Order: sequence, then C-alpha cells, then structure tokens
Amino acid sequence: MKKSQFTGYLFASPWVITFLVFWLFPLLFSLYLGFTDYRLLKPTWNWVGFDNFGALFSDGEFLDSLKNTFIFVVGTIPFTTAIALFFALLLNKNFPGRTLFRSAYFMPSITSMIVIALIFTNLYSRGGYIYLLADMIGLSPPDNGFLLSNKTALYSVMAMDIWMSVGYYMLLFLAGLKSIPEELYEAADVAGAGRIRKFVSITLPLLKPVALFIIVINTIKSFQVFVEIFVMTKGRYGTSTALYFIYDTGLSRFEFGYASAAAYILFLIIAVFSIAQFGLLKQRGMR
Amino acid sequence: MKTLKYIILGLILIVMVFPLLWMFRISLMPSAASLDFGSFLSPAFTLSIYYDIMTSGHMLKYFLNSVIVGAAVTVGNILFCFMVGYALSRYRFIGRNFWFYTVIFVLMIPVHIMIIPLYLLIYKLGLYDTYAALILPFLVNPIGIFLVKQYIDTLPSSMEEAARIDGAGEFRILFRIVMPLCKPALAVLAIQVFLTNWNSFLYPFIFTSSESVRTLPVGLALYQGHQAIDWPHLMAGSSLAVVPVLVIFLLFQRHIISGITAGAIKQ
Repeated sequence: MKKSQFTGYLFASPWVITFLVFWLFPLLFSLYLGFTDYRLLKPTWNWVGFDNFGALFSDGEFLDSLKNTFIFVVGTIPFTTAIALFFALLLNKNFPGRTLFRSAYFMPSITSMIVIALIFTNLYSRGGYIYLLADMIGLSPPDNGFLLSNKTALYSVMAMDIWMSVGYYMLLFLAGLKSIPEELYEAADVAGAGRIRKFVSITLPLLKPVALFIIVINTIKSFQVFVEIFVMTKGRYGTSTALYFIYDTGLSRFEFGYASAAAYILFLIIAVFSIAQFGLLKQRGMR
Repeated sequence: MKTLKYIILGLILIVMVFPLLWMFRISLMPSAASLDFGSFLSPAFTLSIYYDIMTSGHMLKYFLNSVIVGAAVTVGNILFCFMVGYALSRYRFIGRNFWFYTVIFVLMIPVHIMIIPLYLLIYKLGLYDTYAALILPFLVNPIGIFLVKQYIDTLPSSMEEAARIDGAGEFRILFRIVMPLCKPALAVLAIQVFLTNWNSFLYPFIFTSSESVRTLPVGLALYQGHQAIDWPHLMAGSSLAVVPVLVIFLLFQRHIISGITAGAIKQ
C-alpha cells in the first residue's frame, strides 16, 4: 500500500529528522573533528591523522582528568550500590510511614544537580554545617573548607554524588525486591532457613540482575561527571574530570579538534566498560 | 527491634532532607545575616529576599525562560513521541525496523561526545543563544518513543480498523482514537520530560550566552561568579528551581516512580 508507506514515514518523520540532524551528523562530525586541528578563529583546518590522540596521551592535564574520573567511578559506585540496597531492604516490607521515608530518600535524585551542588558548596565551606560537624568530632577539616583543598575536594564531590543518587537506585532495588516470588521465602521457612540464610540464598542471587543493571548505568553516568565539578570547584584542587577537560579545551579554549579526540577516547573507555559489564551479565545467564 | 528500625530510618531521613531544608532556611534569612551553627533555628525570618529576586535582577526572567522552554519541549514530546511511537508500532513501512534500531542505538551514546559538534551545529544554523536552540533538538526523545511504542504494541488495533472501514482519515484515527487510549503512557512521558528539561543544565549552558534566554539552572550556576557569594539570594533562586519539582513530585509520585521502574525492568 503506497498510502500506508507515506503515512508511516510522515508520522515517523520527527524522529527521522532529529536522528539525522541532531544525532548521526554530530556523532560522525565529532569523529572527523578528532582527526583535525580545527579551532576557533582559524580559517582552515587540516587533517592531522592521529596527532591529537598521540598528544593527548602525553598531556598531563588529560591524564590527570582520566585518573580523577576513574577515582570517581571506582570510589562512588560500590558505596552508592550498597547504600541503595540497604535503603531498599529497610523499606521493602510495608509499615506505617513507609511512603514518607521512601519519598524523602528519593527526593534529592529529582532535584536539580545545580541546586544540590550549590547547597553542598555552602555546607562544605568554612563555617558550613558539614565543616563544623567534622570539626566537632575532631576530624580537623582543611582551613578553607573541603572544596578548596587538594586532599579533600574530589572526595567531597564524590560523597555528595552518593548522597544524591542513592534514592534513585533504591527505587530500582525496591522494584527488584518486589519481583521476587513470595513462595520462595515460604518454602525456605518450611525448610527452616533463618533470616540471614534466606537473604544470602534467595534475595541476593535474585537481585543480581538489578544490581548489575544499576552498576552499568551508574558507570556510564559517572564517567561523564561534569556539572557538580563545574559548580563546586571549576576543575581546580585536583577535581578536573574527563568531561571537564573536554569542556575546558573544547568550549572554553575552543580547540575543537583536540577536545573531540578526547571525547572519543572517553567514549571508547565507556564502551569497553559497558561491553565488559554486559558480558558479565550474559555470562551469568541473565538478560 | 521496631523502635531501632524507626531510629535508623529517622536518622537517614534527617541526612537526606536537611540540605534542602537548609536551602529554604537560608532563603528566608535577612540578606546581611552571617550563617553559623545556630542559624538553622534562629528566629531571624524575612520574605524580603523573595520579593527582591522577583522584582529586580534576572531570576524571574530565568524562571520564565525555564517555564517557556519546559512547556514547549513537553508539548513537543507528547505530540512527536506519540506520532513516532505509533508509526513504529502500527505501520509496516520500509525501513521501520531500521528506524526502531536507531532509537535503541541512540540510547547507548554517551552525551559527552555530542557537546562540541552540537555546539558547532547550533552555531552554524544561526540558533546560538535563542529559544530555538533549547527546544528544537529536544522535541522528540528516544526513551519517550520507546515508551509509547511498547504501550501501543499492547493495545488491540480493532478500533482503528473499524474507524478505517468507516472512512476515517489517518490523522483522525491517530488523534481521536489512539491518543485518548494512550493517556496513561503520555502522562508518564510528559512528567519525565518536563522534570528532565527543568533540571537540564549542560545543553542550555553551552547553547546560550545572554541573560535573555538563560534558563534557571544556568542562571544559578553562573550567579555565584558575579561577586562574593550572596547566599540568601542564591538559595531563594534555588528554591524557585526546586518548588515546582516538589509540587509535581507530590502530585504525581505514583507516575514518576512507575516510570522509573518500568523503564528499568524493560531494559
């Protein structure tokens, strides 16, 4: 039917256009840019082959930003996942006030990251509540506040990130817990299994797909940490992450070619991690 | 045991809620007040900062920009995600599977790689620093298409066929018959799109430079650069960004949570 062909495409056209113009073209253009020396106010650009990539791997700033990104990913995800699971277990059974607690724990996740980062800038600064609290229990916080010190800045941003995102992953864990059939626990009760035994033998194994899913999406997200760094430290005090580096070279110093190459390196790193994690998912016999 | 559980839950509650309460508390402080340990419970209280940001400065402008952009993007997504999802679900046009795969494919692309080429594209198209830059690229989104398509897949097509036999046109079927049936899915879609857009920072930040089109998150992020941080004003502006989210969350909690968990389980 000719007419159905036409109407089908007509209705699908918003996506067809958006995909071609705002996804496919930028994606390919970015790859191309990575092999050029294109920058602002330069009338022409040249193909420079792998020069950008070579230069990046001997660029201390870029390597530092990669190192910080790895610290961020490795240092937040285990905590976020474990705390989210703990919250979900606390809120799994129905009890008075459950909805209130669940909503309150989830609230930070749908609040603007900018606002959260601003509030924590206040809390972490000299005289802020977290600063005073740390001082009170004898942790001797850095003189100018947590964000203005090489020793603590990155970890402070990481702690905020964990605080902000646990509520979201808690919801995913709660959905996972809900899907575990009640009969399994009943059968375990009949067999005389204790609480810990049930948790280790039923709950944990059946939550594995959700946990791995959470780790995969959190990894992809954490590799691209930027907004909180931009607001809280502007990449100073050892907090520059890969995406901050890309922003800084690309849109602040306008070295489009160089920054695009960096973006593709980060893309490859994320791809490798995601594929490895998905491989892990498959290998365990799970979707 | 029960008491212990409530104590733990309560302590966590304080940790999770305090920062937002602190934001509201600062916004109600007199401008010159210094902040210290006792501030949270101090009797000093004024609404003058809110009056201030509503009558002078750019905060109100940023807020309205966020509303305009958020509304346009949400309406666009309801309309276009619905159309595209319907086409992918019901029509057997050539390349249908290909276009469906592009939706999935795009979900896997990390945004960071798009920043520089999109910036250049927006610039070359002459859209830099306009509302159009904040709206056009975001009028349809892959998650929304996916959501609608999955939903329409579960609907029986008998009503559409009956209408077709009665001689109804394709547009009429789309908007008069299918759209009302899709209300639950479109509600989830609209809430998610609006919240995401309302909080969005990266693209509005790199696509604009002037105060006249700046959205609220961008305005807040750049506010602190002006002078030594004026916390009461900054936190009052932040409250403007948070209150609509709070209201939407309280009204549509069930939709929001089901949207999040449904998307996760499917993937």
